[in-house]
Amino acid sequence: MKRRKFLQVAGVAGAGVAAASCGPQDVPDHWVPYASTPEDITPGIPTWYASTCKECPAGCGILVKTREGRPIKIEGNPRHPVNRGKLCARGQAALQGLYDPDRVTQPMKRTGTAWAAITWDQAETEVATALGAAASAGADRVALLTGAGSGPLDRITDAFTTAFKSKHRLRYEAFAYEPIREANRLTFGMASLPNYDFGAAKYVLSFGADFLETWISPTSNQIGFAAAHSPHAGGMAKYVAVETRRGNTAYSADEWIAPKPGTEHLVALAIANSVAKGVKNHVGDVDALRGFLAPFDSHTVSGQSGVPAEVIDRIATEFAAASPSLAVGPGVAHQTASATQLAVAVNILNVVAGNIGKTVSFPAASVWDHVGSFKDLSDLLAAMGAGTVDVALVHGANPAYSYPGTGFAEAFAKVKLKVSLSSYLDETASLCDLILPDHHALESWDIVEPMTGVSGTVQPAIRPIHSSKQSFDVLVALAQKAGKSIAPAGVTTAREMVAKTAGAGLAAQLQHGGAFTTTAARPVRLARDYSKLAFTPASFTGAADGLVLLATPSPMLYDGRGANKPWLNEIPDPAAKITWQTWAEIHPETAARLGLANGDIVKVTAPNGQTIRPAVYVYPGVRRDVVAIPIGRGHKQYGRFAANHGSNPFHLLAPLTDSSGALVYCQARVSVTREGGNYPLATTEGSSRQMGRGISRLVPIGELTPSHSEERGEDLTEPERNAIGAVELSQGKRRDIGVYEQPHAKWEMTIDLSKCTGCGACVAACHAENNIPTVGPEQVIRSREMSWIRIERYFEGDTSGTDWQVAQIPMLCQQCSNAPCEPVCPVYAAYHTPDGLNGQIYNRCVGTRYCANNCPYKVRYFNFWDYGSSIAPMYAFPGPLVLQLNPDVTVRTKGVMEKCTFCVQRIRFAQNDARVRGIDLTDGAVTTACAQTCPSGAIVFGNAHETGSAVNKSKRADANRAYTVFEQLNTKPGITYLSRVVHAGTREA
Amino acid sequence: MATMVTPVAGEPTYAEVNRDIIRTLDPPGLGWFAAMGVVFVGLMIGGYCFAKQLKYGIGVTGYTPPIFWGTYITTFVFWVGIAHSGTLISAILFLFRSAWRAAVYRAAEAMTVFAVLTAGLFPVLHLGRAWFAYWVAPYPNVRGVWSNFKSPLVWDIFAISTYLTVSATFLAMGLIPDVSSLRDQAVGWRRKVYSVVSLGWRNSDNEWRHFMRMYLFLAGLSTPLVLSVHSVVSWDFAMGIVPGWHATIFAPYFVAGAIYSGCGMVITILVPLRHYFKLQRYLQIKHFENLAKLCILTSSVVGYSYMTEFFIAWQSGNAIERATFYNRVFGQYWWATWTMLTCNVFIPLLLWNKRVRTSLTWLFVISIFVNIGMWFERFVIIVTSLAHEFEPWQWAYYLPNHIEIGIVIGSFSWFTMWFMLFIKFFPSIAISEVKEALPPPMRVTRTDGGH
Repeated sequence: MKRRKFLQVAGVAGAGVAAASCGPQDVPDHWVPYASTPEDITPGIPTWYASTCKECPAGCGILVKTREGRPIKIEGNPRHPVNRGKLCARGQAALQGLYDPDRVTQPMKRTGTAWAAITWDQAETEVATALGAAASAGADRVALLTGAGSGPLDRITDAFTTAFKSKHRLRYEAFAYEPIREANRLTFGMASLPNYDFGAAKYVLSFGADFLETWISPTSNQIGFAAAHSPHAGGMAKYVAVETRRGNTAYSADEWIAPKPGTEHLVALAIANSVAKGVKNHVGDVDALRGFLAPFDSHTVSGQSGVPAEVIDRIATEFAAASPSLAVGPGVAHQTASATQLAVAVNILNVVAGNIGKTVSFPAASVWDHVGSFKDLSDLLAAMGAGTVDVALVHGANPAYSYPGTGFAEAFAKVKLKVSLSSYLDETASLCDLILPDHHALESWDIVEPMTGVSGTVQPAIRPIHSSKQSFDVLVALAQKAGKSIAPAGVTTAREMVAKTAGAGLAAQLQHGGAFTTTAARPVRLARDYSKLAFTPASFTGAADGLVLLATPSPMLYDGRGANKPWLNEIPDPAAKITWQTWAEIHPETAARLGLANGDIVKVTAPNGQTIRPAVYVYPGVRRDVVAIPIGRGHKQYGRFAANHGSNPFHLLAPLTDSSGALVYCQARVSVTREGGNYPLATTEGSSRQMGRGISRLVPIGELTPSHSEERGEDLTEPERNAIGAVELSQGKRRDIGVYEQPHAKWEMTIDLSKCTGCGACVAACHAENNIPTVGPEQVIRSREMSWIRIERYFEGDTSGTDWQVAQIPMLCQQCSNAPCEPVCPVYAAYHTPDGLNGQIYNRCVGTRYCANNCPYKVRYFNFWDYGSSIAPMYAFPGPLVLQLNPDVTVRTKGVMEKCTFCVQRIRFAQNDARVRGIDLTDGAVTTACAQTCPSGAIVFGNAHETGSAVNKSKRADANRAYTVFEQLNTKPGITYLSRVVHAGTREA
Repeated sequence: MATMVTPVAGEPTYAEVNRDIIRTLDPPGLGWFAAMGVVFVGLMIGGYCFAKQLKYGIGVTGYTPPIFWGTYITTFVFWVGIAHSGTLISAILFLFRSAWRAAVYRAAEAMTVFAVLTAGLFPVLHLGRAWFAYWVAPYPNVRGVWSNFKSPLVWDIFAISTYLTVSATFLAMGLIPDVSSLRDQAVGWRRKVYSVVSLGWRNSDNEWRHFMRMYLFLAGLSTPLVLSVHSVVSWDFAMGIVPGWHATIFAPYFVAGAIYSGCGMVITILVPLRHYFKLQRYLQIKHFENLAKLCILTSSVVGYSYMTEFFIAWQSGNAIERATFYNRVFGQYWWATWTMLTCNVFIPLLLWNKRVRTSLTWLFVISIFVNIGMWFERFVIIVTSLAHEFEPWQWAYYLPNHIEIGIVIGSFSWFTMWFMLFIKFFPSIAISEVKEALPPPMRVTRTDGGH
């Protein structure tokens, strides 16, 4: 019986397409080898499923790698037009949502504070009865609250509320970009979000948009941005960030402008005004705008915003000269009371610079068209509070966490029957009376349409792990039990609905991950409805001497939904580099004035009286009058990894809306006072300065000549050159040391720092591919994080002002040809492979740690605890998380050293595959996990012995900015970095 | 303790030597048992901490990457260093015919052996997988694995084990004549043990001739070891490319430091030994003064090495090297470095004063500072260098936690246990050599001329 059960679960992926049925399925207690192999599973050979990511509304295409029935890694789908084979950290971490040890495993009913298991039939009957009663009691007594949704299945759920005579159907997203949608309605007549073509832009002007982190479609944005904003034949785009806090996205900025909070829209209008003045020809739209823009001359705005007039004019000149350019904004954190005005100003900028139709184009429809606003949520909540809602169903949204203040629970409690369709016991679910757990997206069927022309299929990659049921099926069943019909005839499950929708194209769609067509953009005409808005500086609540609170979306945790995934907690925030905690970013001068240092606990008091107590992170990337606190932590519920870590800045906000109905995220001046006490920040940052050591290098674009490498002079001093020469002499002039015989490959990598944005997608990929344990905040405080690849972030220049740069660098094992780690290992655990890798034999390692001491790059990681043992206190893979582990990679035991292997298991798999097929291993047939996923395409991996390989081409093509780190140590690294080119004057330090 | 500085009244006779020294082997009193009780508690603490570390992993310690070596290796080098003066005093001073060594060499030699025994624990117990420590040793096995002879850690195995073998042999050799005297007086099981240890010594001329040949041979064999062991230990660091480690000066610098710390420890041990066993007539002030002079010499070499390191770092033109040494003195670990400089360079300057170096109170206090200073020297070299290496992003700060401190306490208890057992089973002063310096007992010649 055990074996059969195992086969049921483990064999699902193969059978997944055909039979993703429901029913109680436990993770088997015992694992046994395949006695008789399921038909379409070859042990050791992965099976891939094309699906669509549902971690955020962007709708990226994914390929789910399964081994013996278990999804073990998610990669981007190269066919998918949104993400073209790339995937961000959050998308990859979906696996940990699937295997979350705190998932709701079956329907549950609450009695008092305790949850009791009930059957699906009981649960559905109870809800259906209540729904029927509510519908007969009157109109609008049923509410269905979901996250953003799109596609035919999502559309059918609209019929659900209609069937129960209710208008309360709300798609709620905490980050819903209402100001941009409203501004588009006012300026262009369509309340939608356009596609931004960062790849075509020669100049990017961003007003607080964190477009490389969470903003609308970050992976897609990053692919385009990295291509445009790195040296290429057509030059290199310039990126100017106008925002009060320099976040990870603005780390790539060539220039950072920090206007007074609440005046961003005026700066945008002043730039537009200046651009419009410069437009000589009488273009219709520009002419129409001149009058409107006239009051916003650079000198007036300069006085309001603190941005020098000449800067405004210079930016305007540059912006207009670079055609097409692209202005974007606002980002969620910078949604002030004037957010809509800023979005209007951004639109006007794009109009006067002639970008509409070039870098800004509107698809016929977008997933965002149907997403409600924050005001819609407040209205629904008011109805609930008034007691007019009898049954509320919540799916894919957690408003109890993200609703400002504490108003949600009170109003929600007035609903007679609250039903959660969540997979997790999050804050909202724990307020409900019943939980009818949904499948995870990797267990579900769906069709997702992020925009017209992109229809992404969602298909199961594993049979449901728990006794969950897809919410679409639940809604259909509920309607059916209440005597209503919402689905087309013959459709009772999502799978049937997908099959019916796809028709004959089903097989192709399941193989390709969807159906993708090119559709024409909607024509845009300029409307003038924006002029009734008041374009004055935004006001803030709270005392004038307080700090303006910025609640910043977390690139890892998004709006808080990622907090239950250990990877996303442990991959450092790309800006603050802090893990597991909530911090308050305060400018060094402000911190000095308030007597605060890193780790000091502060009491942040909002005008509404709410307080939170984060720890201070002294950070030069915020204005002196701003305190920035990341969104995402401070959960009370939502599982062991989320609960009781950090604090929630939503508590500090009042439910204020701007003219678009958006929540005003940047609304208050808060008081920050020392609370007494401190705790060490769980940061991975050692020093924020690289002390002129040339680790991550910046080159001003003016100095990047074809012969730049010669002109910049030797990296080595004369004594260093002599010393290296002497070593080579004594080693028999072996310039090819560490390479062994030529017939072998020599695996090498180039990393283009001009493309790298520091997003951390590579780090997530490495965690998934290489079974890297997460260690928790206490161990991170002791610098014991295990991630084999890390993004170092150094500040360059004088950080007291805004004229400084950020030098980032992904640091991983350099696979030195002349490796310092190898000779010092007493037991040959560190050794050199014939194909140029620094091998590490875990079984042989006794743990002297000498290799780590001798590694100048500090990329060796030691197993201080038994992270891989289920009986050890520091077990890193509790519950089903263990199912995610890559069977090709050893889970390391305590006391051994580990490090990046260049994904040697992928290399060997490809080599073996080529061998059994009798073909040569072609360039590109094997790549590392980090290179595979990098949305910027910054990482190129390949065989350096193959003349035409991509890695060699990359080294040759950019030879003028190629360098290796610590060349003077004669380690001969296998990783070549390409300096980051900047438009600013900052020379590498 | 000032009362201990009393001039020795007259030279003892052979019989008095026998009596005074063999008296130290009398059945122990309450004080000894009380001290052993403390030692036992210390051992238990160390054992508990090590057991915990074995069970849960090195994570129970305070290690903070990139500081992958910390208190354990510091204490390892400390004990290896302590082990040096024993051989120096017994072998090198023997070869140089320094007669004053006779009174102190036995205790110093015993200290050497026990210090090596203690030091040898640390390379094992700092391992991530201590239970596989034997893999480091080259021995025939069916797994086809072999030691990497390029690794200084493998050199360490040979250096330490050779040193332990030779110094233990040397100690046992030197004990033979004395143990035979004990054997002649002992009864019961002690007599049997002493019979075996004294290898049937009959005090014949022939035996003495062979003994002296062998002793000379072993002294010659040990002498290069004094230099080699700590040179090899220093290469554990100098062979690494870590700034602050990678220096050619390390071998002589470490040897001088080792002798310095060894002399310090000899003084620390002999002062109370002299006091409690009332050995003022044998352990004379001039012996201590000579040890103090050795301290002055080695302290000067050590201080010179420090200055050389700083000067070379400054002159190197290598920004990273310079940053490491600047950080060492003025960075986060300034307190450790200044403790080291104060204890090893400044405080020993007091020994230039004859009144200080002939006062056992002063000497004892200064010797404690020497011990502290030399422990900190290794801490400074190991930890401050690792904490401030090439990659600024990975800079960190490490302090030992209770587990590491517990194991260090355990190591001191382990050392003390062996030493305290030794002084109750073997003469801690070489009876035969002390006698050599005395006028031989002659028949008393009548002076009244009468028949």
